[in-house]
Amino acid sequence: MTSFCDKRLNSPDELERVREDLSEHRNSDTKSVCVCIGPGCAAKGANRIYELFCEAVEQSGAQVKVKAKGVGCHGLCECGPIVIIQPGDIFYQRVEEPDVAEIFRETVLSDRIVERLLYEDPSTGKKVKSPNEIPFYKAQKRIALAYNGVIDPASIEDYIAAGGYTALPRALTSMTSEEIIAEVDVAGLRGRGGGGFPTARKWRSCRAAEGFPKYVICNGDEGDPGAFMDRAIMEGNPHSVLEGMIIGAYAIGSSQGYIYVRNEYPLSVERLKEAIKQARQWGFLGEDILGSSFSFDIRINRGGGAFVCGESTALMASLEGRPGEPRAKYIHTVESGLWGRPTNLNNVETWANVPAIINNGGEWFAKMGTEKSKGTKVFSLVGKITNTGLVEVPMGITLRQIVEEIGGGIPDGKSFKAVQTGGPSGGCIPAQHLDTRVDFDELTKLGSMMGSGGMIVMDEDTCMVNVAKYFTAFLQKESCGKCTPCREGLSQMLDILDRITDGEGKVGDIESLEVLAELLEGAALCALGKTAANPVLSTIRYFRDEYDAHILERHCPAKECRGLFRYEIDPETCKACGICLKNCPADAISGEKKVPHVINQEKCTLCGTCWEKCPFTAVLKV
Amino acid sequence: MPTVTIDGCKVEVEKGATILDAAKKAGIWIPTLCYHQAVSSDASCRICMVELDRGDWKQLVTSCNYPVRRDIVVYVSSERAKLARNGVMELLLARSPESEELKALAERMGVKETRYPKVTESQRNCILCGLCVSVCEQIIGQSAIGFAGRGVERVVAAPFRQPSEDCIGCGACAAVCPVGTIKVRIHHDQQEVEISPFKSRAKLLVCKQCGAPVVSEKVGELALDKLKISSEEFRELMRLCPKCRKSKTVEQIRTVVFEEK
Repeated sequence: MTSFCDKRLNSPDELERVREDLSEHRNSDTKSVCVCIGPGCAAKGANRIYELFCEAVEQSGAQVKVKAKGVGCHGLCECGPIVIIQPGDIFYQRVEEPDVAEIFRETVLSDRIVERLLYEDPSTGKKVKSPNEIPFYKAQKRIALAYNGVIDPASIEDYIAAGGYTALPRALTSMTSEEIIAEVDVAGLRGRGGGGFPTARKWRSCRAAEGFPKYVICNGDEGDPGAFMDRAIMEGNPHSVLEGMIIGAYAIGSSQGYIYVRNEYPLSVERLKEAIKQARQWGFLGEDILGSSFSFDIRINRGGGAFVCGESTALMASLEGRPGEPRAKYIHTVESGLWGRPTNLNNVETWANVPAIINNGGEWFAKMGTEKSKGTKVFSLVGKITNTGLVEVPMGITLRQIVEEIGGGIPDGKSFKAVQTGGPSGGCIPAQHLDTRVDFDELTKLGSMMGSGGMIVMDEDTCMVNVAKYFTAFLQKESCGKCTPCREGLSQMLDILDRITDGEGKVGDIESLEVLAELLEGAALCALGKTAANPVLSTIRYFRDEYDAHILERHCPAKECRGLFRYEIDPETCKACGICLKNCPADAISGEKKVPHVINQEKCTLCGTCWEKCPFTAVLKV
Repeated sequence: MPTVTIDGCKVEVEKGATILDAAKKAGIWIPTLCYHQAVSSDASCRICMVELDRGDWKQLVTSCNYPVRRDIVVYVSSERAKLARNGVMELLLARSPESEELKALAERMGVKETRYPKVTESQRNCILCGLCVSVCEQIIGQSAIGFAGRGVERVVAAPFRQPSEDCIGCGACAAVCPVGTIKVRIHHDQQEVEISPFKSRAKLLVCKQCGAPVVSEKVGELALDKLKISSEEFRELMRLCPKCRKSKTVEQIRTVVFEEK
């Protein structure tokens, strides 16, 4: 690749000249094949597809100017691997290795569209060409993910050519620290990591705090089950995080930043490392950034695999090399954080929003969203949903729009039961509240929370007691064990939930759970413990009948808890084929030819083999 | 100085003092387990919760480490504060049902029994308050023990759960343990002191005159180092048991006072 910059840039003017050179060089006759190599697509073999496109480009010679690039997560993971051809915005989905040659020959070289690889709109049955025609993308609004799927995350030139690093020189040359903070204040940006604390207020407190040096930290310890928002940003557009941090550090008066990335994200670490190296080379990090006399540098630290390290004080303890355990926050970290110095910690997505706010102004950002929740929020949409993937939506959109329009509803004709937001500390929101608008305070009112953006959709086959048990077990395992309510209280809650799902629940168990929940909320040391009871409380609040059915009737209405439902053969549907009989390991099924089979309930071990094997779905869970 | 109003009783404390300091000054008892004035507060046991009035809302805080920075209103005997403290006590009783010390504290708090079954394994009733770890690190300066494991697996242990060579057998951990988990055992036959349950052993310093155990040798050395007195006579004196030291001192005084005259 031609290098446009062999020395540090010493002024915003030099940067603009390089940007002009870059866009001239990238004139429109160059085609690009953007292969999504985000985690979802990579799991389906996208890396190999990217290699094949690279080979095809090499072999094609000079017929046409073309470039293959691996890009960050495009969002519609369900339909991966995704390949987009530019110009034209041609969106190919479920691309497999044999398709590469065809795409290259037809679309890249001959400008013809390969119809069969286009996305088919399930409501109209029509094939659509570009992402903005796909319902999944239509209702989205992308700020943090704006360049995901467009730029090569390993190339700073791509980021600059796309308009990256324009906010930084603006902030450094024409804005004072207070003006930057005021702009973020006008934007109404709130912490995207879960708490929703106003970012500008945090920055201002840290700026005003006494003590030096001051630190800024980017929290990339994304640990919620089913969440991959921050990962997609770190892997898809690492420079946006760096640019946000540099602007924040300048506003706060910090000269050292840290990015704390969870150990399970090696690609994020690699991308960020490369980005930091490039930013240093180009003069966006280090001494005297763009000739402004402001100096700032960033280091990456990898987590050790503890969920609790996503909590700010535990994260800082871990950064200091001590065990990752939280401490009381009666004195805030903006006053005394890392090594006892004023420290400002924000989540990956929060930092990634900053450049756009500086570029477009706080008012532009504040136009999106609700009264108290502005801008957009990235969610990872998983579970029983048709379009699994990553979405960025304006605040104020309803949960129904996310689940039905963007997510495409529940697959297999099943009905929606609940959506779990906010990760393990969040709660389950039932169908009657689907028209709730996505907003920090609205979700909290429902007993859930915004959290960092995990969104798990559940259908009628999901047992809500089991869901509560899953999250409680997760948190009990991830509790650091420092404080009594979290360590002992969660173990007691799990013990009760275990009994209920085993059919050994007692009258009064629900009340015991509520007592423990209240104790956790009031007495636990950190946010992990204080919110740990939310999954239990929200399921009791909205699905108390399911708890009652488990406890009073020894029955699991969703037929998920083993032992709390039984298998029966429907004599009408049974064709007496004998498959269940042959496969039953307990000899519990009797029957003859042409006579519907019967399960002997006393012998049945509830293994579910008959239910799985029956070709006529005659075995029912009742 | 900021004023703390505890259950209606007003006391003034230094800025930065804790609610617990203020309560002591006001003569109001708040139960504590992981608090010890010799070491920094970790607020891990949560038994000292009180309710802090923030005007439009009330918050439960730990009194042992909440710093008083301005005038505040606190309730120790409010229903919510009591429920929280008693709830924590019930959880601890479920974990460590055999500790007499814990039962006595529960009784003083008015908690008669726990509604919870025993679901977490404790090492000899250890409630993981961490005082032993803090005192070993902050006061003795040895850090022979620390926390190992996470969550319900958490235990206090020496590295690799082996007897630690850093343990000097001082017994400070046993002295601060609020639930009687840590014990000092003297093995007279081997002239050793053992800190249980860590299984660390240290050679005993035996009185040169009568053969009675004094302290562990390492503690003796450490104490002499800290005293910075180089007089060999004094050092010799310190190697005697308190009884023999007394009689030796009396002897010396007699020689000096009466015989030299």
